Amino acid sequence: MERVLIKQGAEGKLYSSEFYGKPCIVKERFTKSYRHPALDKSLTTQRMKAEARALLRCRMSGIECPALYMVDIESRCIIMERVLNSVTVREYTRTLQEKDDAKNLLSLAKQIGEVLGRLHSNNIIHGDLTTSNMLIKGYGENSRIILIDFGLSYFDSVAEDKGVDLYVLERAFLSTHPNTEALFQVILDTYKDNNKTGAEDVMKKLEEIRMRGRKRTMVG
Amino acid sequence: MAAEVIANELFPDSTITLALFRNVENVKEIRQCVMNGTFEAAILKTSMIVDPFQVIVAANKAVVHQNKVGKMMTKNVHSEILFNLSPSKNISDSFRKFGAGDTDQSVFIAVIDDKTGQTLQAIQNTVKGQQVDVDEVKQLSDLNNIKKIYKLTDAELSWSPLDALVTRIAAKDIMTI
Repeated sequence: MERVLIKQGAEGKLYSSEFYGKPCIVKERFTKSYRHPALDKSLTTQRMKAEARALLRCRMSGIECPALYMVDIESRCIIMERVLNSVTVREYTRTLQEKDDAKNLLSLAKQIGEVLGRLHSNNIIHGDLTTSNMLIKGYGENSRIILIDFGLSYFDSVAEDKGVDLYVLERAFLSTHPNTEALFQVILDTYKDNNKTGAEDVMKKLEEIRMRGRKRTMVG
Repeated sequence: MAAEVIANELFPDSTITLALFRNVENVKEIRQCVMNGTFEAAILKTSMIVDPFQVIVAANKAVVHQNKVGKMMTKNVHSEILFNLSPSKNISDSFRKFGAGDTDQSVFIAVIDDKTGQTLQAIQNTVKGQQVDVDEVKQLSDLNNIKKIYKLTDAELSWSPLDALVTRIAAKDIMTI
């Protein structure tokens, strides 16, 4: 299997390859020599399983994400679909901003809000929501959002965690794309429409988190 | 129409052979041959397969598990393919739902490590039917039944049933629906 390295992070390497003729991404987590081998194995296994589970849960909840091809705990690899003809929402937003395309920016924000609302109403916490972890396929009206990188995801129904998820996105969104406060508000508004039961609590938490930051203060 | 022989991506020495037969009259006989050991192969129900890739993913997983001691859930690599295809953890239930039935008129065959082509030859000699391109399995799949057995949602069905199935097959030992 020929692999081309495309990205390297703190936890693993991302390769582009082919899996029986289908374009795929191989995500390999490396061993960390500073950890005890037993702990290292258990952590890696846990995270790989969490990622596979999240991909399946999302798919079943009607949220688009890459198809899973293979999970190999022994070799620390997850093989999944490589989404062709797509760009990250980060790049897409940049392009739209350069063109000053307010109409498509608005529909993009609505789409993001819709996907996130659905994600959270199914109690899936992504854990690392940024515009780089969302892909967009197509352009304008016909585009679809595909969520990627579920390495930090988990399932929880607590409003706090959902609030943190949105807060992380807000920080990432506003720092990568300046002057988009109004746009982010659109994301939140559509989010509310798509997560009717929980949105109110999450919004309250979000306010709270904005005041204190992502981490809870540890006093007492 | 020739069968498709595919080299395993992770274990290059291993191969997967796929073949599809239509208008088959003697599924019962073929199954008997597998059961009494005349040849070793996975005899699959065509109505449960949407694309050859689905079988490849299941077979690939079976081979990887075979090469790692203690990973296999069933007796041999061919029955493991059937088991991997199925969303159920019940082995005999998996065989019943994903193995070809006696009255089926088509069979999808997967053979692991048939390097000399001997097994395929033996199968071709046994099957009373017409061998066709493996891609024709797309015409034979029964989406309603697939949807029911794999518990697919309507959204999944509308994008790509194949992606939904391979995701389930790949994640089977991690999470059951």
